[in-house]
Amino acid sequence: MTMAAAELLKELSKDDRLNRIAISDTGFIFDPQTGQSFTLNRTGLVTLSILKRGSSIDETAEQLSHQYGITEETAVNSVEAFLLQLGRYL
Amino acid sequence: MDSSADFTDIGTWEPPFIQPHKMGALNKFGQRTVRDNITREVFGVPVSDLVRRYGSPVFVVGEKHLRQNIRRIKTAFQQRYNLAVHGWSYKTNYISAICRILHQEGSLAEVVSKFEYEKARFLGVPGDQIIFNGPNKPKDILRRAIEDGALNQADHMDELKMLEAVAEELDKTVKIGIRINFDTGFTEPWSRFGFNLESGQVNEAINFISRSNHLRLSSLHSHIGTFVLEPRAYAEQVRIMCELMRKLEGVENVAIDTIDVGGGIPSRNALQTIYLPPEQAVPDINEYADAICEALLAGSRYRKEIGKDLPRLIFESGRAVIDDAEVLITSVVGTKRLPDGRRAAILDAGTNLLFTAYWYNHQVKMTRNAAGSEEETVLYGPLCMNIDVVRHSISLPPLAAGDQLVISPVGAYNNTQWLQFIEYRPNVVLAQESGGCSVIRQAEDLGVMMAQDQIPAHLASFDVSGKVRPLNRSGNHPVLNRKLV
Ligand SMILES: Cc1ncc(COP(=O)(O)O)c(C=O)c1O
Repeated sequence: MTMAAAELLKELSKDDRLNRIAISDTGFIFDPQTGQSFTLNRTGLVTLSILKRGSSIDETAEQLSHQYGITEETAVNSVEAFLLQLGRYL
Repeated sequence: MDSSADFTDIGTWEPPFIQPHKMGALNKFGQRTVRDNITREVFGVPVSDLVRRYGSPVFVVGEKHLRQNIRRIKTAFQQRYNLAVHGWSYKTNYISAICRILHQEGSLAEVVSKFEYEKARFLGVPGDQIIFNGPNKPKDILRRAIEDGALNQADHMDELKMLEAVAEELDKTVKIGIRINFDTGFTEPWSRFGFNLESGQVNEAINFISRSNHLRLSSLHSHIGTFVLEPRAYAEQVRIMCELMRKLEGVENVAIDTIDVGGGIPSRNALQTIYLPPEQAVPDINEYADAICEALLAGSRYRKEIGKDLPRLIFESGRAVIDDAEVLITSVVGTKRLPDGRRAAILDAGTNLLFTAYWYNHQVKMTRNAAGSEEETVLYGPLCMNIDVVRHSISLPPLAAGDQLVISPVGAYNNTQWLQFIEYRPNVVLAQESGGCSVIRQAEDLGVMMAQDQIPAHLASFDVSGKVRPLNRSGNHPVLNRKLV
């Protein structure tokens, strides 16, 4: 799981791919490469914006854990699950 | 870098989630119209009041809405063909108050079983205002229907023979109808009901009636299907029926005065198999009335030339009359995240009450403005059964236990096909045209559920031997260790 998520993050970060995705602050996102659009929930929006800055899974989880007051373990699991979802769609 | 620099409101924690948009699910601003999806009232009554007074779940019928529907539908037909009459298909919704409203509006009763026949008579419908259809009419009820002067429409040859026998016993000449089936080229023919035209069964039935001493054929009946989205199917149906009527002019014991086209006109509901929303997929009632009445006027014009009256037109629309005049209010009892990431909510009403959830994607409205983004959500009912799904996939904001949802349209076939399974069936309430509400079908309780059960003597106690064992030291039943009432 950890490997797969890390691989996905690497894939998504290639060619600045994550950064070219348009995100509105209401959670509406548009992928110019596929023309597909998506909605993120609030935490998804926060997570994606951290990832977009080039943060690693652990760094992202650490910030989430800090901001929401959840354990790092929960945060890491959630970020990984979220990356797997992103991998399915983006 | 701190992401809270980007977001003044980071919300409360839930697992991050991404939800792809389906084509057509967005409005022109790229946003879902959440506000359209909120209703705090049904038929002018606050949802919260209804739940407080009548519990949850609860069905609510709008009297004014129902009356407007039937008036609009009747006008559509009668302004095109003034001999048009509506027959209320009892099986669509036979709650007594509903039937009464439709009879007040001038509809005949269309019944298809002994129970429905007895119910119509019990509600005070005179025999000559009843159309008796269906493939199973036991002799005792057929006899009563003949004595009452109801219009029996025969489904098969054995029924014709029974009609003949009963008419002979009563020494009466009886006007009857026959149900016929044929291919319109539009719908899957319902060939299991009635006499088939193409294969010659209709001729056999006519021959039988012509030789009969007691039967007179006065009505041709057919019902071409359910949720028929193509008005031209009805035009073809009526054309074929009129052709038959014309062929039968002058045949012994035949004098057709009624063409009964059955039901099947769709309601504004979303069939699971149809992609377009109902507002686009379902033609207006006037298009159906046009197709039917024009075909009837054309097909019976010859009657004027031979100096005969035009036939009466009976239409038996069920779902188009009542479906959108009733809603179901249900409450969320719990929520969960499924392993595949989708949200799920468990409701206190499932397919036990909403039988039509098996083929419709009902509209589901929130009753409060929920914060949070919409996500694909599954709505489950309360039954311990995997197929108890109210909506397989619907985009909704996060639900919480206690949330009330309004499901619609539910007026057709739910209050009749609902299951007495696992749960009690709830109140059905009428939001009255004059204001105020009344219960038109009371919620079930243990008394209702036990009323039909009978316990044979050898099962009177928990003891297999049938003997009553001595009570244990605390005076309780020896096995159950509690007092028996
Ligand atoms: C003979 C007959 N008439 C009327 C109806 C009512 O149909 P609907 O509710 O589709 O109008 C039915 C329904 O199956 C039917 O079988």
